[in-house]
Amino acid sequence: MEVDNNKQEVFQRKKNAVLVNGVILNGPITDSKAGEKFVEEACKIIMEEVVQKAADVTEKVCEWQPPEKLKKLLDLEMRDTGEPHQKLLQLCQDIIRYSVKTNHPRFFNQLYAGIDYYSLVARFITEALNPSVYTYEVSPVFLLVEEAVLKRMIEFIGWKEGDGIFNPGGSVSNMYAMNLARYKYCPEIKEKGLSGLPRLVLFASEECHYSMNKAASFLGIGTQNIYFIATDERGKMIPEELEKQVQRARKEGAAPFLVCATAGTTVLGAFDPLDKVADICEKYGLWLHVDASWGGSALMSRKHRKLLQGIHRADSVAWNPHKMLMAGIQCCALLVKDNSDLLKKCYSAKASYLFQQDKFYDVSYDTGDKSIQCSRRPDAFKFWMTWKALGTAGLEERVNRALALASYLVGEIKKREGFQLLLEPEYANICFWYIPPSLRKTEEGPEFWEKLHQ
Amino acid sequence: MEEVVLKKLRELIGWDSGDGIFCPGGSLSNIYAMNVARYQRFPDSKRTGIWALPRLAVFTSQESHYSVQKGAAFLGIGTDNIYLVSVDERGKMIPADLERQINKAKSEGACPFFVNATCGTTVLGAFDPLVDVADVCKRHGAWLHVDAAWGGSALVSRKHRHLLDGIERVDSVAWNPHKMLMTGLQCSAFLLRDSSGLLQRCYCANATYLFQTDKFYDMAYDTGDKTVQCGRKVDCLKLWLMWKANGTEGLEKRVDRAFEFTRYLADAMKGREGFLLVTEPEFINLCFWFVPASLRGKQGCADYWERLGKVAPAIKERMMKKGSMMVGYQPLGSRVNFFRQVVTNPMVTKQDLDFFLDEIERLGKDL
Repeated sequence: MEVDNNKQEVFQRKKNAVLVNGVILNGPITDSKAGEKFVEEACKIIMEEVVQKAADVTEKVCEWQPPEKLKKLLDLEMRDTGEPHQKLLQLCQDIIRYSVKTNHPRFFNQLYAGIDYYSLVARFITEALNPSVYTYEVSPVFLLVEEAVLKRMIEFIGWKEGDGIFNPGGSVSNMYAMNLARYKYCPEIKEKGLSGLPRLVLFASEECHYSMNKAASFLGIGTQNIYFIATDERGKMIPEELEKQVQRARKEGAAPFLVCATAGTTVLGAFDPLDKVADICEKYGLWLHVDASWGGSALMSRKHRKLLQGIHRADSVAWNPHKMLMAGIQCCALLVKDNSDLLKKCYSAKASYLFQQDKFYDVSYDTGDKSIQCSRRPDAFKFWMTWKALGTAGLEERVNRALALASYLVGEIKKREGFQLLLEPEYANICFWYIPPSLRKTEEGPEFWEKLHQ
Repeated sequence: MEEVVLKKLRELIGWDSGDGIFCPGGSLSNIYAMNVARYQRFPDSKRTGIWALPRLAVFTSQESHYSVQKGAAFLGIGTDNIYLVSVDERGKMIPADLERQINKAKSEGACPFFVNATCGTTVLGAFDPLVDVADVCKRHGAWLHVDAAWGGSALVSRKHRHLLDGIERVDSVAWNPHKMLMTGLQCSAFLLRDSSGLLQRCYCANATYLFQTDKFYDMAYDTGDKTVQCGRKVDCLKLWLMWKANGTEGLEKRVDRAFEFTRYLADAMKGREGFLLVTEPEFINLCFWFVPASLRGKQGCADYWERLGKVAPAIKERMMKKGSMMVGYQPLGSRVNFFRQVVTNPMVTKQDLDFFLDEIERLGKDL
């Protein structure tokens, strides 16, 4: 904490006190001993309240408070003066108390859950070291780790070689892929922009992730230039429909350039038929991106990887280890089959204050210019640590277990009255209606569905 | 918590209302701004794309951050459509040249929609003159964004906030507390003056599996649709807890101290042989050449600058192999490699600064 007034006076009396404009420079203003103690005590709270309670099902998953009440419970105001350590520690406890426990075994709300101790330690390490992964000189370990992890992930996709980068989210990975495909199609767009060019069109299933929409508008392509492809009753893209839409776009004088297939849709967990989609992409010269943010982890399982059959034919893949593999948010890779530095050419700006060419080491390790970001977190490290701890076998087991649990639940749902599956799941998303007793005798008609909807 | 933190940052800018969000980095904050400005001018483009629009023109100083380049390419605007505005000898944007560039763009049939001013350039730490720049933008109806990723933290200091005079007039600001305020990467705020929901309208996709409209609580709190991200880290907590612990005054002390370090070091360098300032620092970037004894007094030589440009990389290699300290170097425009010394760590003391000067000398004296 800051040096208090008494200590300031003591400094001033000393002969070698150096004052510049009223600021003392020959002593630090942070009391590191008090700071270290604060870290230790807070870590103790984190250990007890978050880590140790993570697996305890008797704890609540969430301690619900409506927004207006929560604002009052948490002393959120940021004041002119600092508060004492005891108060801060209490604040830490309150923050933890009212936060949703995503580690809890009964947190099923999103596509990620649970605690992985190794990735947690990796996060503690990177938080404490506070690196930025732009150049080798500043981040030697984490850059090499990222390279090693990307290489391994590329192997699992089935490419002999390739490229990639870790991004702050699957949405951003999808955007990168869209931009990369656009760059490949017409590299001049990087300099000239889209104004006056033929209208680029991309294709994605009607159940794709909404980041496709966000990406299309962000990139200047426009959401109406995504042609959504119909899916079958299992939520999978219908290849014949894709071909129809590609032909339609061409007839309209537009320029089809990208197909985004989804391996593991957000809601139903459906996998688009990659081989058939790849055939069409090859036929029409389109970039195939697979959004495997959710489903990519099935690649770790020899039993289940067939869900992504054909993925090696993709030009790019988005894969988020922070979902099923529990690497801790964020941990999202964009993998690219191209090995000709396309990613770098597309994104580089060669800033001379970071990417000097006259460094004393091999500057090809300064991979930060492949990114749209400047400072970047070492997200690959979390996944690496878990991989080191569990091995491929352990990660495979994790995926198999998740899908086995899903299978078990489906079996139980089918046996229980009042539970109705939407469809037979092919992954870990189990979609069902709960039909309360009051509706069980009602005929399935508009009135039934309206009531059920509530 | 994010709402409270963003509000505090906006207050320091001088807005009593507004909007904002935390982004994964200042680069993305700048790119968000460019896209919001484009959306505001051409709201249909979200849906239709920018094919049929006139060529969009972006203006930024020669010494602005490279994320403007990356942004223009990413957003489909094209890096050729960035008009670089000249800077003066202190690295500050020249407003008259901005006016010239905007007029040039207009005469070429382009649409000047976005101006990026920088408060705290990456290398020199220069602050563009916001009041004059705002006047130009107002005349031409261009969105004015301030990349204060680096210099924004000066707002916390009553003594030094004048560097950003005029900031309350701008449309959006990028400010990275993870730099000078030491929150830990990432912590980058994108702040807007608008409070009509422009950010939400620009970015929303209304995904039904997240932003259902039949929830049991006030869904205005579901702010995630204001971003291009889906999953998003909690970056505000770092800043909030740190602010709770230090108070605004504690953070102010931190900022003031950084300025004083710079002053101390600049004065010390002026008194030492072999240290040559590139420019008088306005902020806390202290840029200098170390001129080894073998080159002193040889400015007249034809290859003086070429040889001087080799000094910084050599010293850098030595310091890294020794592990005693690290400082960055880079060329800038026609200036050969020079060091950029930046002191933000409050644990640094006079001894560390003296060591810094001594070590540069030690490592470079035989070059």
